Amino acid sequence: MSSQTAKLKVDPRDGKLAMAHFYVAFIALALGGLMGLLQTLVRSGKFELPWGIDYYQILTVHGVLMGLVLTTFFIMGFQYAAVSRTAGTHSPAARRIGWIGFWVMTVGTIMAATMVLLKEASVLYTFYAPLKAHWIFYLGMTFVVVGSWLDGAAQIMTYAKWRKENPGKPSPLLSFMAVINTVLWIVATLGVASTVLFQLLPWSLGLVDTVDVLISRTLFWYFGHPLVYFWLLPAYMCWYAIVPKIIGGKIFSDSLARLSFILFLLFSIPVGFHHQLMEPGIDPAWKFLQVVLTFMVIIPSLMTAFSLFATFERFGRSKGATGLFGWFKVLPWNDARFTVPFIGMASFIPAGAGGIINASNQMNQVVHNTIWVTGHFHLTAATSVVLTFFGISYWLVPHLTGRKLTKAMNKLGIIQGWVWFIGMVFMSGAMHFQGLLGGPRRSAFSTYGDAAQAAEWIPYQIAQAVGGSILFLGIILMIIIFVNLAFFAPKGEEEFPVGEAENLEEKAPMIFENWKLWLGITAALILFAYTIPFIDMIQNAPPGSPGFKTWNSW
Amino acid sequence: MAKAELKSNKKTEIEDSSSLKGTLASVFFLGIFIVVTWVSVYFLFLDRF
Repeated sequence: MSSQTAKLKVDPRDGKLAMAHFYVAFIALALGGLMGLLQTLVRSGKFELPWGIDYYQILTVHGVLMGLVLTTFFIMGFQYAAVSRTAGTHSPAARRIGWIGFWVMTVGTIMAATMVLLKEASVLYTFYAPLKAHWIFYLGMTFVVVGSWLDGAAQIMTYAKWRKENPGKPSPLLSFMAVINTVLWIVATLGVASTVLFQLLPWSLGLVDTVDVLISRTLFWYFGHPLVYFWLLPAYMCWYAIVPKIIGGKIFSDSLARLSFILFLLFSIPVGFHHQLMEPGIDPAWKFLQVVLTFMVIIPSLMTAFSLFATFERFGRSKGATGLFGWFKVLPWNDARFTVPFIGMASFIPAGAGGIINASNQMNQVVHNTIWVTGHFHLTAATSVVLTFFGISYWLVPHLTGRKLTKAMNKLGIIQGWVWFIGMVFMSGAMHFQGLLGGPRRSAFSTYGDAAQAAEWIPYQIAQAVGGSILFLGIILMIIIFVNLAFFAPKGEEEFPVGEAENLEEKAPMIFENWKLWLGITAALILFAYTIPFIDMIQNAPPGSPGFKTWNSW
Repeated sequence: MAKAELKSNKKTEIEDSSSLKGTLASVFFLGIFIVVTWVSVYFLFLDRF
């Protein structure tokens, strides 16, 4: 019995590394959240930043900390722990690589953050050329990416060890999912690494005078779209494989879950052009092809929705629920580990619908570069993904620190989830509507010479400030819960829930573990979608651009 | 006698516990929501461009 308990627990040495990632992630949440609050206050027109702090500087801090630092650190910590829990304790070599990865990422974060704080890099989190930052910013971002590769390598090593020790068996579901997401990340980051190493770094160091903006943006979006799936898949790991256990139900189908992850790997990368639909220099036929591939991603998303509904309904009916929606009522609504990720899942319905609108060529003309887009990714990343990460923290942090989620913290967690939801309804809702009225994203407050159209936007901007303030309250609550669970909660054992498939007879087909096949198709799709457009872009290259610095130094 | 019993044809209201009709309704709702939002923005596009 005791050996079984020991097996179900993440080894404390692995737990320490996962927690190191979470400390950085939650510091990023606190600082990035404060910047977000300030942005919404500035855009309300009622508040100005003191001491010469620039709107675009805090916008960069918010985007980099929330979109890149919080997500990457949390995901790597969570996946590292999930692989350790399901495929076995990491070897000392894998753990050492994981620690090196963590420190490389942390040093990179400090380098990039320092340059932003010194007003040397107000280039927003997409760091589009020809906006030019200090070279230390780009080098710092490179370190974050390289560090994450090392973190990922540790997970792949432990997965490979499991496969070697268990020939002919499908790997544990959570480990399989973590490795798919790591592979997706490695393939995607090759694009951003290329633009940073071969274009932006030499250019910011003064080794070359100009940069090819189109190539740089294309390489960025080759990375930028799978980036959002890199955020989303760990949330799906929780929804598919952890939430069923929390509610006391079963995973609807292990094979369906694996297939949907493989489809995400195949179809989330060769689709970057749907972020560049309004850009000149790319043949519309290739844009069309990538839009078609983008729509293929809807398939695994709908498979996920079906599978989750089915898990919930099966569980509800096993508890005696009747009628069309009786099962909905018997779900454990007083358990923060379920309710908070559930709010995230529900938010993915409008989030996904908005995404299909963004990716449709004509509708992209309606919403492109408007604050609708900001509203969209505050539903996907900042609600679906982040609330699921919070839900994971409620059990994972005490599991790793040898503490318990108390009743009081569970209640505070549920309150936190609802506060977040209400704040986001105001903020993201107002962003969506203002965007449809043409309100631009990435802009400080302006009345645009007292234009009538701009006057229409102001009530929505005030609603965003109200929502932003409520969300900041949500962040304070989350930090209180995190600190409590990490340092002050009573000692005890908190479960790391891992779901079981409903039908244990149904073994996942081994073809799902055939990496040569899936990586081969991934590469083929990428080459198909990008080769000819790249040749075209290079042969008909626009003139290179010098760097621009649109902000004032200190 | 047995025949008469069979004929009584009493309707028994036992719900199949493996039923997924709630899931079916939910995914239909989801599909309709996606179509409605898409079509509304499409009409906005037609109206403007």
